[in-house]
Amino acid sequence: MAEAIEPRIELIGASRRFGERTAVKALDLTLEPGRIHALIGENGAGKSTALKLVAGLLAPSDGEVLVGGTRLDEASPRAAMARGIGMVHQHFMLVEPFTALENLILGAEPVRESPLSRLPFVGALFGGGRLDLDAARREAERLAAEAGLSVRLDARVSELSVGEKQRLEILRVLFRGAKAILLDEPTAVLSPLEVGELYATLRRLASRGDTVAVVTHRLDEVVRFADDVTVMRHGEKVHAEVLDGDARAHEEATIRRLTRAVMGGDVPDATARRPIAEDAPVVLELTDARVDGTGSRGLAGVSLRLRAGEIVGVAGIEGNGQRELVTALAGVAPLVAGRVALDGAPLFTSHGDAPSRVREARRRGLVAVLDDRHHDELVLDATVADNLVLGDLGLAMPGAAVDADEAALSSRRFERFAVEPRDPSRLGRELSGGNQQKVVMARALDRSIRALVLGQPTRGVDVGTARVIHEAVAEVAARGAAVLVVSADLSELRTLSHRIVVLSEGKLVADLPPTATDEALGRAMLGAYTEAPGGSR
Amino acid sequence: MRLLSLTTVAETLRMAAPYACAAVAGVWAERAGVVQIGLEAVLLSSAFASVAVALATGSMVLGVSGGVAVGVALSVLHAALVDRTRIDAVVAGIAWNLLAASGSRLGLRALYDSASNSPSIEGFRFGPTGNDGWQVLARVLCDPVSWLALIAILVSPYLLERTRLGLRIRAVGENPTAARAAGIEVGKTRLVALAISGAIGALGGVHLAYDQHRFESGMSAGRGFIALAAVVLSGWLPGRAALACVAFALLEAMQFVLQDLGQASRAVTVVQALPYVAALVALGLGIGRRSAPGGLGKHAEG
Repeated sequence: MAEAIEPRIELIGASRRFGERTAVKALDLTLEPGRIHALIGENGAGKSTALKLVAGLLAPSDGEVLVGGTRLDEASPRAAMARGIGMVHQHFMLVEPFTALENLILGAEPVRESPLSRLPFVGALFGGGRLDLDAARREAERLAAEAGLSVRLDARVSELSVGEKQRLEILRVLFRGAKAILLDEPTAVLSPLEVGELYATLRRLASRGDTVAVVTHRLDEVVRFADDVTVMRHGEKVHAEVLDGDARAHEEATIRRLTRAVMGGDVPDATARRPIAEDAPVVLELTDARVDGTGSRGLAGVSLRLRAGEIVGVAGIEGNGQRELVTALAGVAPLVAGRVALDGAPLFTSHGDAPSRVREARRRGLVAVLDDRHHDELVLDATVADNLVLGDLGLAMPGAAVDADEAALSSRRFERFAVEPRDPSRLGRELSGGNQQKVVMARALDRSIRALVLGQPTRGVDVGTARVIHEAVAEVAARGAAVLVVSADLSELRTLSHRIVVLSEGKLVADLPPTATDEALGRAMLGAYTEAPGGSR
Repeated sequence: MRLLSLTTVAETLRMAAPYACAAVAGVWAERAGVVQIGLEAVLLSSAFASVAVALATGSMVLGVSGGVAVGVALSVLHAALVDRTRIDAVVAGIAWNLLAASGSRLGLRALYDSASNSPSIEGFRFGPTGNDGWQVLARVLCDPVSWLALIAILVSPYLLERTRLGLRIRAVGENPTAARAAGIEVGKTRLVALAISGAIGALGGVHLAYDQHRFESGMSAGRGFIALAAVVLSGWLPGRAALACVAFALLEAMQFVLQDLGQASRAVTVVQALPYVAALVALGLGIGRRSAPGGLGKHAEG
């Protein structure tokens, strides 16, 4: 049935309200077959909601959604799939213990016919219900070859890299026979190399007539890869343009124009890092630190010295030890060997348990933000106000009056990062990803800090908020703290860092200035490049 | 009578049936992500229902059906309650257990005017009479309820691993949000899984009652909880869970044999505790530890 559908999708005056809040306001949007349409805007601007309206996962409160000219009247994952629309969610919708192939067929399983299947009841259970994995594999391999996606079909999802999981999600959408594919922030989790590959795949799909829509924060990739762009702000469409050769040729100007549309006005220049004092002492020192990896090599002996006021960026392809580096410095993961010293005195060695490590790190001013905010930083079912002070209140005696302090602390942080919606009694899970990150950063940056370790500090965060966070981080450094930033976003590392080190297979393979080219960094990430510390491009 | 005789084998099989049914019922429920500590209630209510229907109709076959129907109804209701009202499944399970215990007592009073047991039923009497080892074993092997239970247990791994239904049930149990995004109706799938769970668990209850040829108050005697331990121990695998139950039944059977041998009373007490100690030790050592279904007790989000 999917073949019969002309995958032009139109929103006509579509609005969507959640209680009192209007997430999308009277939006007109047309997604043309054969083109890649980018949807950009700040966090909470309504991009994801708009995408879900298009996908038929949410029903509009007003207005209508037309798919190939017919009204979409039921909103559910099933209805959307029946219409030939597939969505790749920002947080992958995969069953981790299943194999890639099992995930691929889930919900549209090919089954084997047999004489048994004609029997009532028994047939449904045994005969007609028997999975035909061979047929599924053949079909999946055909589609994968066609779209240029490589996925290990027999590996468990938990063993797949982030990029591979995403390719699996895309392949799954194709397996359903979708002619329209919508992706919510697909590049937030990818390395620069994988971003290029992703868009190559999307281009291949578009050129055979599929409809492609992407929500993203990265304007450079919009200009480079998209055909149409729609900018949303406060739930409304504020700007739309066709990105032709001219717009691409003047990339800088186009990005500036789009940034203005996203921010609703001119933007101050990105914060330049402050110079480091000549005699700045070493604050954070790792000596041959080794950490066991989960599903990767881990950290295989890293030595690194950070001086007061210095911001060091860590680049690398996901899964090359970044996560282990951050969790070890947070005191969560134990060192197998080596040590970490703070202000010249040892902090972590291969001894000691996690709670005492974390406590000691906190006491001496080593603050770390882990990259998985849902798992490691927030209690999603607690209020924003509570999340803002999580871990910052001493053990109060029963009846002790901590409430006032707590409220003051919480509201100060809430205001400083302008968390949206403006209601601290919302639950953590009700916030958009970017606002959740604001809560995490507001809490971390308000502590007394000697050294700051950040894992993907602005992943899934809009341009405006990212600037606020960068400014705050630069300020912390200017006050004499050492800062280590792990990020998949090279432009973020360039904006912030005094130097960029590259992790590959758990080792530091390069130490480059922030002016290093994408190419130089990319080569180092692939482990094919080494340069002496302080080397220039 | 020796410790390992035909009688011991027969007793082991006989005693294993209710445990194994309850454990496999637990696997079906929990693989679908529904916490089911109400296995005790399933055993007890289906035992009572089977006897009540058998007494009322005079048909043993209808008695079995009645027991199974009640087991299915209770389990499906549990799933629906947890899914619709988002009530905590553990609390609901405790409620089911209390309700089944008191409800069956009330039923005994109301129907048969007794505090302890029902009048006896015919049950199924196939195979030779007598108390020789082979005769006991033959009787166990001729029991239709045991056969039904065995078939249900044997096809469970196949259904769970190889069929569309099984894949969907496991998906819903591991990650309901992802399953829903894949177009699967989480609530409905869980209802189906719990219906199967209830039917298999009910066979255990029916077996208990038909084996004793009557219903006794509280006759499930904690078997539902031991079965839960077997579920965890097996790593949520139906075949292994059933095997764990057989091992448990073997220990229990030996205990009876020892009692029959008239050993010193102190030794008997120690032996009586053996199955439970064994279960605890096995759990503590984490034998065959495999993590619980990721979506156990979770609802679809977003």
